[in-house]
Amino acid sequence: MIQVKVKCFSQVKYVLGKDEMSLALEPGTTSAELEELVRNQAQGKLDEVTLRIAVNKKYIPAEIELKNGDEVAFIPPVQGG
Amino acid sequence: MIKIEIVKGSITPFPSDDSRTQDGAELVFNGRVRATEHGENITALEYEQYEGMAETELRNLAENTVKRFPVHDLLCKHRVGKVKVGETSLHVVIWSKHRQEGIDAMSWFIVELKKRIPIWKWAILEDGSRIPSECAH
Repeated sequence: MIQVKVKCFSQVKYVLGKDEMSLALEPGTTSAELEELVRNQAQGKLDEVTLRIAVNKKYIPAEIELKNGDEVAFIPPVQGG
Repeated sequence: MIKIEIVKGSITPFPSDDSRTQDGAELVFNGRVRATEHGENITALEYEQYEGMAETELRNLAENTVKRFPVHDLLCKHRVGKVKVGETSLHVVIWSKHRQEGIDAMSWFIVELKKRIPIWKWAILEDGSRIPSECAH
């Protein structure tokens, strides 16, 4: 198994009720598969929310395989300013 | 020159600079917290950042802005934490030789900031409750 940290912000934090989660995943799990897992945990409450993915604090342009120790953030629409 | 700061307290504005003899335009933008969100009264917004990533992305954006537009300097402070109604949450200063490139750079910088910098707003309602803001303007 690999261990990843999931950071939660804004609507993701609000819906899941936590700042972060530590998850054990099968080796070879991808960013898209983890997104599906997080969306399932939200029980439909994030269905209308577009999420961008950052791995180790960088946006990823496409699906990637996650590695042990990765920090993954599902980033809802941002609202700075 | 580029200067980026994410600050937790009140924003002290960058000082105006009378020593610049080659810049004909000094643009200043202050984003402030409005008293209503979708028609509901609020007392403050609480800005949440993805610590580490927000500052890096903001610096990358500032660097891209000065590459894309012929401006000399871009200085930016973005506040996080609770910001009361009326207070400044975003302060940007741009110096350029002529006004138009400065105005274009300022507009582009703020539009892009609202697309990609991982900062979010929580609305603090009059009853003290806290909900994610739906406003992306």
